[in-house]
Amino acid sequence: MSLTPAPVLEAARLRLRGPEMRDFEPLAEFFADPERAWGFGGAETRPDAWRWFASNIGHWHIHGYGYFTIEMTDRARPAGLCGIWNPEGWPEPELGWLVFAPFEGRGIAYEAALRARAWAYEALGFTTLTSNILPGNARSVALAERLGARYERTYRNVTLGEDMLYRHPGPAELDADGGMEAYA
Amino acid sequence: MTDIPVIETRRLILSAPRPEDYPKFKATFTSYRARFMGGPLNDYEAWMLYAAEIGHWQIRGFGMWMIHDRETGATCGMAGGWQPAKWPEREIAWVIWPEVAGRGIALEATHAARTHFYQEMGWPGAVSYLDPKNYDSIRLAERLGCTRDPEAASVDGHDVVYRHPSPEKLRNSQTADAIELELQSFRGPIFGQREEATA
Repeated sequence: MSLTPAPVLEAARLRLRGPEMRDFEPLAEFFADPERAWGFGGAETRPDAWRWFASNIGHWHIHGYGYFTIEMTDRARPAGLCGIWNPEGWPEPELGWLVFAPFEGRGIAYEAALRARAWAYEALGFTTLTSNILPGNARSVALAERLGARYERTYRNVTLGEDMLYRHPGPAELDADGGMEAYA
Repeated sequence: MTDIPVIETRRLILSAPRPEDYPKFKATFTSYRARFMGGPLNDYEAWMLYAAEIGHWQIRGFGMWMIHDRETGATCGMAGGWQPAKWPEREIAWVIWPEVAGRGIALEATHAARTHFYQEMGWPGAVSYLDPKNYDSIRLAERLGCTRDPEAASVDGHDVVYRHPSPEKLRNSQTADAIELELQSFRGPIFGQREEATA
């Protein structure tokens, strides 16, 4: 059953849809693996993961946006999360992502982030977006840069501590596919 | 999505928590008032908890209502059901903003919420997990007819479990009459006078 007013967004290999209860187990597994989850933060225990999952649903109801679940077109197991995140205390609305272990290394986060960013610009009317990346999270830095984002500043995040803020190109700087090919 | 019902009582309206109802929730949960509810929280934690209150409704099909004053529409607190991960049983919970405490609002709202869960949703019972130092809440649990259940599992060992009377036990009970009498006493400008005069 749908838990949020989230739309379904189609991309070439995947779709983004609102969170559903079947997404909780893979998300709890992700949060339970400190090596993978440290760069995302948010939940240290299974009850914390449940709270975070519930908060994301509420985030959708409060803001009209939040984290989508990434689903491959076969609609089998969820592949990760991607969306726009803006709880109180956040510096600005953030384009965020995480990919579950079996789906790593296939460019899924890149494709999902492009789609979510295009939606935020086209449907929500955002004129800019940031991504918050913990120092040392080289993979997320690489993805942010591939998305055309540039390091802007380091700041103290309300829950994660020292954190880097990357700024994405605005809607006017992107080509029709939502990418940065013109600048490559 | 879950449709969140609206409950009306003599003085209150219980409805879905909305984004615009957040400020007083935040003021309470970031203050010392929240010391028995895992607080005080920082801004981020308070907002995430409020978002989780909304998410809880969607996940469980029940949750915490926002309590509004019928006359003014102002928010007074929250009451309802709560069962996040790790909670052994469904809890009936309440929180009242400090500035409206002492007017029987928690009793009226929690009684209405419990009646809804029992009569509309078929709950066979419920518990409340209370901090043993939270005397106001323990007193309210007792006014609601709860008794301490030392055998029941607590959330984390630091809380005590109060068990609510079952729907059968509550029906036509002395507790139910006492709740009605107490709620009537909060109606008139002089407690009780108006009720007796028109009886």
